[in-house]
Parts: sequence; C-alpha cells; structure tokens
Amino acid sequence: MKNRRRSRQPSARSVPAEGDGAVVFDRLYRDHVDRIYRFAQRLCGQVEDAQDLVQDTFLNAYRGLEGFRGDAQVSTWLYRIAARACLRLRRKRKGEPARELSLDEFIPTSEGEFRLQLPTDGLSPEEALENKELKRALHQAIQKLPNKYRVVLVLRDMEGLTAKEVGTIMGLNERAVKSRLHRARLFVRRELSARGIGEPSRPSKAIQQG
Amino acid sequence: MSTRMTSAHSHHGHSKAQCIKVLRRLSAYLDDELSVSICKEIRKHMGACPNCEVFVTSLRQTISLCRCADVPSLSPAAKARLRREILRAIRSH
Repeated sequence: MKNRRRSRQPSARSVPAEGDGAVVFDRLYRDHVDRIYRFAQRLCGQVEDAQDLVQDTFLNAYRGLEGFRGDAQVSTWLYRIAARACLRLRRKRKGEPARELSLDEFIPTSEGEFRLQLPTDGLSPEEALENKELKRALHQAIQKLPNKYRVVLVLRDMEGLTAKEVGTIMGLNERAVKSRLHRARLFVRRELSARGIGEPSRPSKAIQQG
Repeated sequence: MSTRMTSAHSHHGHSKAQCIKVLRRLSAYLDDELSVSICKEIRKHMGACPNCEVFVTSLRQTISLCRCADVPSLSPAAKARLRREILRAIRSH
C-alpha cells in the first residue's frame, strides 16, 4: 500500500512543490487559468467577481502548494479551492442562509408546467443558445440556485466532471452529489419553464415585450 | 394544490404517486445509471403518461442547454493583469 502510494505520487503531481516560487506559480497559472476562469464565470455570473475568484484561487493555491500531496489531479485541487472561495465570498456578500431544495417543490401542479415554453424545438442546444434571451434566462436560473446546488450543477453539467470527481471536490459522497444535482436540474428546468421566451428569429421584439 | 395535481393526472389512468416515483429518478435515468428493469419500468410509465414524457424531454433539454452554454474566455490582457496582481499579493506576504 505504502509502495503503491509512493509510486503513484510523481506521475499524479504535475506541479513541483519546491523550487523558485515564480516559476512554480507561472506554470500553475499558465496551465490552469483558462479552466478556472471559465469555472469562476459560471459560478459567479459576473466578470469582476470571476476575476476576483481567480485571484483568490491562485493565491490560495500558491500558499497551499506545500500541502498538496499529489493524491488528486491539480485541476481537481484547484476546483476545490475555487469552489470553497466562491462559497465563502457569496456567503459574505449576501449573508444568505443555506437553502435546501425539496423534491416536492418541483412536482408540476398543472399541465402547462410539464413542458419548457422555450424556442428549442428542432434546434440543437448550440443553435437554441444563439437566442440571447434564452441564454440570459439560463444564466439567471443558474445564478438563482442556492450555492451548494449551483456548484454541483456547474461542476457536473457544465465542467463535465464525473459525480465521483465532484464528490472529491465538494467533500461529499456520490449519492449526495447526485441528489443535489437532480434538485439543481429540476430547479433550472422549472425556472426556464416559468418563462415565455420568444423565437430566435425575433429576439429583439421578445425582449421589448418582456 | 393536490387537487390541481390530481386533475392533471387523473385522465391518464394512474396515480400521482407513480409520477412522483418516476420524477425522483429522472436524473439517474437520463445519466444512464439505472438498471435495465427500472429503465423499462420508467419507459412503460412514460408511454402511458404524456405529462411525464413531456417532463423528461424538458429535463433532457435543460441538461443539454447547461452542457452547451459557453462563457467568454479571459482576454490575454486580463490574464496578464491578473497574473501581475497575484504575484504582487504573493510577494507582499
């Protein structure tokens, strides 16, 4: 067991924990800043907040480099630092209590609530998202999610990580990750279904009417 | 509320409880995490319940939209500025 850990460490670790600080930082920053900025934007929704989060993440990562043992991928480690920093930042700013989402609140109560009233029929998701109003509605729905659900949805459905990886980042077991993910998806679905969004060919008209 | 829900399902000839059971498993169903027999059960329910069929389509669309929603990347100038600011913060400690 001991030998296996020893032999696994050098290949898993791609950042040296010693050496010239600037060189170590530059390598970490160069290899991961685009990914962390994308993640930060998805979490925060605002450019300035996302840039603040990138700064916090790399600063904390640099300070914690010596404690990084290489038993996780560098990207997973950075995601964890960023997710924690984001949860801390938002709690501080909003002072919001942690809200739990119950499955019961997502059970449709009328026929109209079962479908999305969205201009997505016959379109690929990429084509549908060319509709700026739809893109904005999706963005707002994700931002409206309570923090702990939003982080899981962003990691799993937007960053494309596995439930196991999300669990490692969030300190949760897979079952808890899947439970939060399901509620988060149902929340976003309901937010989208509650909005009437115009056809892609008439986005400006739809916005004026909204 | 329960009256409205009941009326939304009553004409499909099954109970609300069956729909709720399906709803609870939809993410696992869409992520292909369920056994063949449970998937078959869910598909059978959806065949008999147009509302749940529509619901699963809408959840699938929601997930696809999330997966495809991109965000603007960091400009080279912003990347360089952030790097300078982080290094300054590192050196000031």
